[in-house]
Order: sequence, then structure tokens, then C-alpha cells
Amino acid sequence: MLHIYILIPFLAALLIGLAAKKVDRIHTGWFVLPVPTVLFILFISKLPTLAEGKIVQSIANWIPSLDIQLSFYLDGLSMLFSLLITGIGTLVVLYSIFYLSKREQLVHFYVYLLLFMGSMLGVVLSDNVFVLYTFWEFTSISSFLLIGFWFYRERSTYGAQKSMLVTVFGGLSMLGALILLSITAETNSIREMIANRSDIIESDLFIPILILLLIGAFTKSAQFPFHSWLPDAMEAPTPVSAYLHSATMVKAGIYLVARFSLIFSGTDVFFIIVSGVGLITLCLGSILASRQTDLKGILAYSTISQLGMIMTMLGFGTGIATLAAIFHIFNHATFKGSLFMIAGIVDHETGTRDIRRLGGLYTFMPISATLAFFGAFSMAGFPLPIFNGFLSKEMFFDSSLKLEQTSGFAGTFAEWIPWLAVIGSIFTFVYSMYLVFGTFTGKAKLDQLEKKPHEAPIGMLISPIILIGFVVLIGLLPNLINESLLAPAVASVTGDFALTHLAFWHGFDNTPLHLSLIVVAVGTILALTLKRWQPIFNRVPGKFSTDRVYQSIVNGLLSFSSKFTKFYMTGSLRLYTSIILVFLVVSTSIFIYVTDGFKIAFDDLAPVTWPEVLVGFVMAVAAIATIWMTQRIAAIIVIGVVGYGLSLLFVFFRAPDLALTQLIVETITVALFLLCFAHLPKLKKSDKKSSEKLVDFVIAASTGALLTVVAISSHSSKYFDSISKYFVDNSYKLGGGDNIVNVILVDFRGLDTLFEIAVLGLAALGIYAMIKYRDKGDMNH
Amino acid sequence: MEILMSILAGTLFAAGVYLILQKQLLKIVLGTALLSHGAHLFILTMGKLNRGKPPILIEGIKDYTDPLPQALILTSIVISFGVTSFLLVLAYRTYQSNKTDMMDQLRGTDDE
Amino acid sequence: MMSNLVFLPIFIPLFFGALLVFFNKKQKATVNISFLVVLLNFGVSIFLSYHVFSTGPLTLETGGWKAPYGIILVADKLSVIMILAVNVIALTAAIFALSSVTEKMIEHYFYPLFFLLIAGVSGAFLTGDLFNLFVFFEVLLMASYGLIIIGGSKHQFRESVKYILLNLFSSILFVTTVAFLYSVTGTVNMAQLGERVGQVEQQGILTGIGILLFIVFATKGALFPLYFWLPKSYIVPSPIVSALFGALLTKVGVYSMLRVFTLIFSHKLELTHTFFIWIATLTMIIGVIGALSTSNVKLIIAYNIMPAIGFMLLGIGTFSAESLAGTIYYLVHDMAIKAALFFLAGLLVWHAGTSNLKKMGGYIKTAPLMGWMFFIAALILAGIPPFSGFIGKYLLLRGAMDEGHYIAAGVGLLSSLLILFSVIRIFIGAFWGELKEEPKQSVRTSGLAASAVLIAISILLGVGAEWFYPYVQAAADSLIDPQIYIDYVLKE
Repeated sequence: MLHIYILIPFLAALLIGLAAKKVDRIHTGWFVLPVPTVLFILFISKLPTLAEGKIVQSIANWIPSLDIQLSFYLDGLSMLFSLLITGIGTLVVLYSIFYLSKREQLVHFYVYLLLFMGSMLGVVLSDNVFVLYTFWEFTSISSFLLIGFWFYRERSTYGAQKSMLVTVFGGLSMLGALILLSITAETNSIREMIANRSDIIESDLFIPILILLLIGAFTKSAQFPFHSWLPDAMEAPTPVSAYLHSATMVKAGIYLVARFSLIFSGTDVFFIIVSGVGLITLCLGSILASRQTDLKGILAYSTISQLGMIMTMLGFGTGIATLAAIFHIFNHATFKGSLFMIAGIVDHETGTRDIRRLGGLYTFMPISATLAFFGAFSMAGFPLPIFNGFLSKEMFFDSSLKLEQTSGFAGTFAEWIPWLAVIGSIFTFVYSMYLVFGTFTGKAKLDQLEKKPHEAPIGMLISPIILIGFVVLIGLLPNLINESLLAPAVASVTGDFALTHLAFWHGFDNTPLHLSLIVVAVGTILALTLKRWQPIFNRVPGKFSTDRVYQSIVNGLLSFSSKFTKFYMTGSLRLYTSIILVFLVVSTSIFIYVTDGFKIAFDDLAPVTWPEVLVGFVMAVAAIATIWMTQRIAAIIVIGVVGYGLSLLFVFFRAPDLALTQLIVETITVALFLLCFAHLPKLKKSDKKSSEKLVDFVIAASTGALLTVVAISSHSSKYFDSISKYFVDNSYKLGGGDNIVNVILVDFRGLDTLFEIAVLGLAALGIYAMIKYRDKGDMNH
Repeated sequence: MEILMSILAGTLFAAGVYLILQKQLLKIVLGTALLSHGAHLFILTMGKLNRGKPPILIEGIKDYTDPLPQALILTSIVISFGVTSFLLVLAYRTYQSNKTDMMDQLRGTDDE
Repeated sequence: MMSNLVFLPIFIPLFFGALLVFFNKKQKATVNISFLVVLLNFGVSIFLSYHVFSTGPLTLETGGWKAPYGIILVADKLSVIMILAVNVIALTAAIFALSSVTEKMIEHYFYPLFFLLIAGVSGAFLTGDLFNLFVFFEVLLMASYGLIIIGGSKHQFRESVKYILLNLFSSILFVTTVAFLYSVTGTVNMAQLGERVGQVEQQGILTGIGILLFIVFATKGALFPLYFWLPKSYIVPSPIVSALFGALLTKVGVYSMLRVFTLIFSHKLELTHTFFIWIATLTMIIGVIGALSTSNVKLIIAYNIMPAIGFMLLGIGTFSAESLAGTIYYLVHDMAIKAALFFLAGLLVWHAGTSNLKKMGGYIKTAPLMGWMFFIAALILAGIPPFSGFIGKYLLLRGAMDEGHYIAAGVGLLSSLLILFSVIRIFIGAFWGELKEEPKQSVRTSGLAASAVLIAISILLGVGAEWFYPYVQAAADSLIDPQIYIDYVLKE
């Protein structure tokens, strides 16, 4: 069944892509809406099965030979995410119908969105790590396309490219981890990996695996220092921001950490890295959110910060922390989703998202404003039982106070955590207040707006109303989803099913509440004085921003590549040849040295006879003399001496056919040289510096020497009889010829000769074409 | 003798390599001719030299010099001839269209 | 009788290539005949592959002379996979040619050269004789020399001089090395070479000779630091020629390494193959750096050849059944996707009237189909699953990590990212953004069709990996045990 669930969005994408253009009277979104709705209902219908402690699974063949199988299963954790993906998906599609005008390229938009939906479902349902990876990369790709939806805007393409580079970087890192995991645990199934946990924990590769996997999770979930792609992803249409970049895709990293918790959790390394990075992200994100002026910018940094908080709790690994994390995943999706939608409404109705130009909108859009206040107070963790965000925030404080790590660095770190948690929460409070009060209260600056603001159409409000409904409902009755949704999800992360009762009130005498009150008090002061201290941010040098770091990496890479390549790819043949020859000489020499390959034997040599030596000597002199020739005729003569000398040697060495061929070929070549020389400029004296000449000499001499050494060694290591004896024996008998060389050429190795003629023919063809068509000018190519 | 011939072939190679490191296209083409000669001499030397009769069968004689390298050289000579001729004409055409035969003026840029 | 089938993939293009020399003025006839010939050869290669995979390898003793004395053509599993891939490329090239080959190109003997190139490449994949491999190398190189100068612009002459000189040097080195090897082993038959080198455990000078041979193939295959001839010379000819070069030429080098360093020189793995892994790693790095260095669309694609070759060599260096399967898979994948990208880059450059990315923009509006194909091709190239690049990359990385080559695997992962970056830059730069200049000409349909076929194949190779992988694995298994090949050819 699960296969079909995942397949549905892809099929729908295909159908929409093919058919929707035909129907242009109806907004494409209406055709898309049933997809997530139906899926949501289907998943809901599985809830009772899960409540019984069972899991739903299905397996199909994909690449059994590589053990890459489409095996999917639905446990508590997958269920939570599947419901978010389809539930928020439904609301977002509904919202988008009113948000995106029919003039936009709606087909593209919904195709990408459906691709994302299917891939994201694939991520959270896959048991096979490589299938998970496949879907993982597809979420990055669909996110890329959605961010670049307005492809003609430079900011969109910048954001799209950045998100793709960062998330694909993480994806590849994760792939490395998954391959190592698969090798170490000898399986591709996550559940079997968990079963073989000890193999992984005890492996030497444990730390590299963990780090590589976490890089994947951190990039996707926008954790420090990889967070900077998320603010730039805000260039996507707002429904996308609400869906991918706050509720679902960015939580894929959280999902991954949670999914592999049963393997890694409980180790100090895991705790320190995950909670450490989470806390840094929590604090940094909330502080940076307070300096943003774009509504979506605030929300983006807020998302970063909130994800950091969830990550921190997963790092704790305790039952209560995991419950809090799972709970917050849900809560964050509700309040952040609605806030994004409201931000979209504000943008839609006023024409700007710049908080400096906004204010006093409460009177113009009271419903949106009310919704926003609920969302923001929930995000701030304001201690009232109508805000689900408060409940999970309180559990966060609680779990940070109950850490079990006591010894070593992990212990020291654990002591600091509550303080960092409070700092992060204070700034969370600050930006939440800044967001809603800045937008909806105060004096309206209507002159700075493009259009007169008014309340959004009801269609746009439905989705945020439903989400805020959940905020309040869960705030009041958290146990509504506890047993059916949260507890099974926690069970899949921690391994044991324990139902913890969720309660709003724990009495006055509990530290988490005190911390919450501190947050509210300090937060209120800071929020009221925000304008005074906000300028501090401007004093922070820009080079510390990770966006700058990203830019300098990318630009640095491009300019380094360009400079480096231009540096050696000069187009100079001499340089290329030199490098090739040096490589040839050095590597071959090293190998000969290492394998003790040099060998010289004097026992099986032909006697030295003087005529050959004399001819050889003359050839050597002539060859070397060519170097200094400045007269073309002289050059041809010395080259000729070498060529004709060679045919003489062929005569001496009993190769009459060779001698004859060489004689003819040499004659034609010399004639050709003469012909060409008539058209080519005169030989010039080398104007090279003597150092260059020395380099040339060394390269030339060592190449010659190396080949001589290999030749002598080869000749001295004749381990086997040559196959030539067969030719001598059978040339006449079977080949019917006296001249063995000829028989070899035309018979034994006739194929060589056939294609040697082909080469000659090709050369002739090329030459003919070059000469015949030379005057027709350059062709357009 | 084989050692001497190996050294000679190596020398031809060295001279050829030196020439292909030069700037002028013409010298480079000359260099390739030397390289081919060197290669062919190497091949010949790798069969044993001066053993037996030339590889043309004569009644009663059993000992012939190794015919296979000779056959290989023949193939190779013809091929090198083809390539060298092509290269010569190409050199001429290159000179004609680029108005230079100096390799350091035949570098080119990315932006074409 | 069946064994003559082995010669057909070489003979058909040779014969018709020669025939078409006389039809260079008869444009229509040439195009039509060529298309039929390509189809015929494609059919033959399918039949050959089917035969080899169902009944085992085929050999042809040319002239009736048995191995190791005559030249043996061997169609084993690896060879037929390569032959099939070559013919797929040839077929798509013929489709691309329908709208892109000009009268002048035909007059300049495009089709004869094209067919001789195919004949040479096919011969190189099928021959079981090292010297004969040299001869086929010369055939394909000579054909490529002819192809690269078609058009006769001064850039073409300039770059082809360099291309030819460096290749000429490596050819001379090749033939010399064959002679050295002959001196030591007394044979040039590859199976017998494998046997004999194995018998003396690759002692003495043999490893040195092996490295010389590696350098020869590495020059053809454009490995670090022997690749200088490649980038510029691949961008000067007509797109169809670039695509043929990009898809076929370097791959012949890789194939030869794959063959020679599994069959013959595989007895000092700790030395030679460790060396290969380092070279592979450096090739990947230098390749992606090159791909990021330029705004010339064609050059970006050309540089991208190198990291792919690096990946393939990584598999040879790792030398396990898994990693060799990865190399073969990657080889086939890369042939398809490189041809597709060269086609698309060519179409894009025609469309834009420039190859400079900085002067492009917004073409998704004027050429949406091309844009999306480019996008998918970029993903395929970068090895994003479930496309073909992933399967090969997965096997290679897994193999490398399994053998403890973590640095190489890490570089492989990182270079995948940079490959994606280099190509997605083209997509973003050329297709997104504002339309800066009106396109110069509309996209040529047959060019688009050819690219679409190749992209479809790449997707199929990934999504339908299960249909292909067992064959690739079978080919890799027979590489890891050279005795299979030796016994089969020498019939002992």
C-alpha cells in the first residue's frame, strides 16, 4: 500500500503536467487539492493499526542485485511526518489557490510541489537507506525548482542555487555515511542496521559515519553553520516557505537524526555534536531573527532557531527530551505554518513584507492579526495553556535540567545547556513580539504601502485558522494526540513505548516554570527596547556572516578554478608536452626502480659489426644535428640521412622488405617536406633562453635514456620463445609464400594490413579535403 | 649490437623529443619523423638482430631472423607515413589560416 | 559461421564508409544510406550482444589462423556491451546529423569519416591482439583528425595541431611499448600476454612496460596529467563531432586500461593499482576545477569528461568485482550522457549565437524543452539517483570505501557536487533569468530528439538498473578472473 501512497503525488504531477494546461478556467490548485487530502485521510486511517503497536510495511523489487529495494514502513515517527506532509500539504495547496494568481505558471508550481510531496513521503517511509537517499535528493531538487519559481528574478536564482549546493553537499556527505554504514552493518535496511548497532558503534568508522550523516542532517535542517541557505530560500512563493521551508523539508534532517537515534544516541559524541550544534543554532537563529526587517526573514531565522531547539533535544536522547522534540515538531508546524501564511497575506494585501513600512494593520485585517498573535505567542512559549508552543518549550527546559551526562566534557557541557536554552528562548520571545507588534500595532504607515490594506479573502484565511485552531486545541488538550501520535513516534526514536502524561500545570515549585517567567520578563524588556539595541548588529563585521562565508567559498572556488586553469592551460604545446614527458619519465623510472626492473644481459647479443656502427653513428649525429638546422634544405638533408640510414640498417639487419619500403616512404616524405617547405616560413633560430634550452635538453635526454633502458631490459629478459617460429614453419606450408614477412602481412595478420590501408585512405581523404576546400572560407560551426 | 642499437634508437627519440619541444611547427613535424624512426629501430632491435637469414624461405635453411617485428614495422611505417603527410598539410593549412607557424602564437583563449 | 558475426560491427561501417567516399556530392543519398547503415549496425550489435550473453563469448580467427598466431577478434561480455553502447551513440548521432550536418560537411566527407571512426572504435573494443589494437587506434585517430578539421576555421586548425601531435606521440610510444612487451613475452596476442605475464608473475621490467602502456592509454583517456589536448580540441569542431569525441574517444582509452590492467598487468596490484587510484583522484580534482573555470558552455562540458574518467579509473584501481562493474556501468552511462550534453550544448550555442554563458539568459521561455532536458542531464551527470550516473557511482564509491580508499571516495563525493554545480550553472545562467537577447535560431528538432533518446536511455539505465546490472556484473566477473578469457581464446 505504501508504494501507492508515495506514487500518487508523482502520478498526479504527471497528470497535471500533461492535462492541466487544457483547463484554464479553473485554478490548477483545485485539481491538486484532493491529492494531499486523500493521502491525509489514508494515513489517518492507519492510526489505529499503529496504536496497536504494529507497523505497516510493504516491499517491492527495484534493484535486488544491489540490495536496493523499495521497502517502506510506517511506524510512529513516519506517521507523524506523513501526517504533517499531507496535512500541511492540504492546507498549503488550499492557501495557494488564493495566493497565486492564474497568471503564474501554475502547472509548473504544482508539479514541483507534488514532486516534493511524493519525495518527502518517500524519505520518511523508506527503510532502505539508498532509497531514502534517492528521495532525499529529490526533495532538494524540488526545493531548488520551487525557490527558483520566479526564475527571472536574480534573488530567486541565487537562493535556488545556494539551497541546492548546500543541501546536495549534505546529501552527498550523507551518501558517504550511508555507504559506510551499509558496509559496516552489512545491510541496507535501517531496521537491520539498528539491529546490528554494536557492529557500527564498535567500528573504527563510527565517528566518520556519525559526522558525515550529521552533515547531511544539519544542511537539510539549516543548522549552524549550514543555515544560511534558508533565509535565501524565502524567495520562493510563500506557500512554499510555509510548506517546505518550515513545516516539512527542513525537518528531514530532524527526521534523519531521530531515525538513526537508536544507533547513535547514548554516545557522548552524538550528544555533544547534535546538542552543541542545536544550541548554537537555537541562540544564533533567534538573535539574528531579531535584526531582520523582512517578515519572512524573521520567520526564516526563527525556523532555523526552532529547528536548533528540536535538534538539541534529540541530542539529549532521553525519553522526555525525545517526547518534547516530537511534540515540538508538531507544534512548530502549526504555529510557524500559520505565521508564514499570515506573512503571505500581509505581503499580498499591502505589497510589502518590510516590517519598517508596516504597522497598525490590526484595524485593517483583524482576523489575520488575531491569528498572528496566537501564532507568535505560541512560538514565544508564552505561559498560557492555550499555546501549544509553551508546553513543548517547558518540556525543553525540563529535559535540559535532567540531563544524565555528568562526567568529562559532556558533563561540563550539560551544565551549561539550561543557560543557553534560556538565552535562546529570550530572543525567541523578542522576535516573536517584534514580529506581531511591529506589524499589527502602532501607527499605520499607509503612505509607504503600495495599496490600501484590507482583510484577506476567506479562502486564504481558512488554512491559518485551522492551524491556529490546532495551536489552541493542543495547548488546551495536549493528550489528544499523545497516545495516538506522539507516543508511537517517541517509541520509534527511543525504542520503548512509554506514555508520559502531558500537563500544563506542574505547580509553582518547578524550575522550568521559573525559567519561562525569566524568559518572559527579560524578553519583554528587550522587546520594548529593541530599537535601542538593534544597531549593535551593525557593528558586527559582515565577514562573520555565514552568507558571506558561503559567497566567498563559491566565488573563491570559481576564481581559483579560473586562475588555476588559466595558469597551466596556457595553450602552449611545449608546456603540455613537457608535463607529459616528465610524468612519463618520472613515473616509469620510479616503477622500474621499485620493481627492480632494470636488467642488462650480455650473453645473448649479436656481435658488434662496424658497418652498422658506422651507419648508426652517422644517423645519431644527423639526428642531433637537426636541432641546429636553420636552413630548410639542410634540415631535410639531415632528416633524409637518418631515414636513409635507417633503410641501410634494415638491409644490414636482414630486413629487405623493410629497407625497400623505408626507402620509398622516405623518398616520398622528403618530397612532401620539400613541397610544404616551399609554402612554410623559413626555419628560425631558436630564441629560447639557455635555461629553457637546458630544460628541453634534460627532458629529451631523459626520455631517450628511459626508453633505452626499457629496451635493454626488455631485450635482456626474454622469458619466452617468440610465436614467430610458427610463422617460419607455416609460411610456405599454410600461407603459400616464401617471403615470411609478406605472408604475415597479407595472411597471418591480414587485418592489420586492411586497416593500415584504411588509415592511409583516411589520411588521403583528409589531405584532399584540406587542400580542395581551402578557399571556401571558414565555415559556420 | 642490440644494446648499441637501443642507444641509437634512444638517441633518435631524444632528438625527436627535443624538436617537438620547439616553438616552430616545422621543427615539431621534423621531430615526429625522428620519433617514428626511433620507434621502428626499437621494434627491430626487440626481435633479435643478425640471427639467421633474411625471412625469405630458402630450401634447406631453417634459421631465419624474426619476421614478426619486421611485419609490425612495415605496418607502422605505412601508418606513420599517412599521419606525417596529414600533419604536414595540416601544418601548412594552420600556417595559412593563422598566419603564423610559431606554437606560442597558436595558444587561443576561452572566449572564442 | 556465427563467429563471422564478430567482424560485422567493424566491417559494416568500414565498407559503407569507404563506399560513401564516392557519394560526397549526393547529399540526400548519403544521409539516407548512412541512416540505414547505422540502423543495420545497431541491429547487428543487438544480435551480437544477445548471442554472447545467451551462449557465451564468440571469437573470430581472422584469416582462419588460430590464436595466438593470427589476429583474434573476441566478443566477450565486456566487448559486446561496449559495441552496443557505441552503436547507440552512432544511432543518436545519425539522428542529430539529420538537422545539423551541412552540405559542406558532407562534402568534406563527414559520413565516411564518421563510419571509419565507428569502425576503429568497434575494432578497438573487439580485438584480442595488442598490435592490432594499435592499428585500430590509428584508424579511429586518423578519422578523428579528419573530423576535427571539418569546417576549416583557424581555431580548428590551431587546436587540431596540438591534438594530433600529442596523440601522435602517444601512438609512437604505444607501438614502441608493444615491441618491448613482445621482446619479453614473445607474443602480441592479449590472451597469451595475460598468460605469459602471469606465469612470470609480472617480474622484472614488465611492470615498467605496463606503466608505459598505462601512459599511452591515459593520454587517450585524458587522465591527469596527460589530458591537456582534450578540452580545447573538443570544443572547436561541430557539435556532432564533439559529441562523438566526448562519448567515444576517451572511452577507448578507458576500455583499453580496463582490458589490459585486468587481463595482463594485474599481478602487482599494490603498486600499479594504488598508483591508478591516486591518478584517478587527481583527475577528478583537476577536471572539476577545469569545469568551474570557464563560462564557455562547451568547455564546461568538455572539462566534465575528466572527472568521469577519474571515476572509471578509480574502479580499475580498486579492482574488485563490484568496482569493475561500477567502471563498466559508469562507462556506458558516461557515453550516453556526454553525447547528450555535447548535443545539448551545441544546440544551446546555436540557439544563443554565443558559447559565452554570461551573454545568455531566459531561454527557458524560448526553448523550454531543451532547458528541461539540460536540467535532467545535469542531474544524471552529477549522479543523482535514480538515474544512470548513480548506479555506477554507487558501485565505485562503495568498492573504494570497502577497500579503504577513503580519500579517493571523499574526493569522488565532493567532485559530484562540483560537477552538479558546473552544469547547473549553465541551466541557471542560460535558461533562467531575464531574456537578454533574442535567440539566433530555433532549436533543431532532430538534435533535440537525439538528446531525448540519450536522456531516456540514461534514465532507463538508472531506474531499470535491474535489467542491465546483472549483465554488467557478469562482464566484471569475467574481468576479475582473466583465466576465463585466456582459456577461451587460447582454447587450452
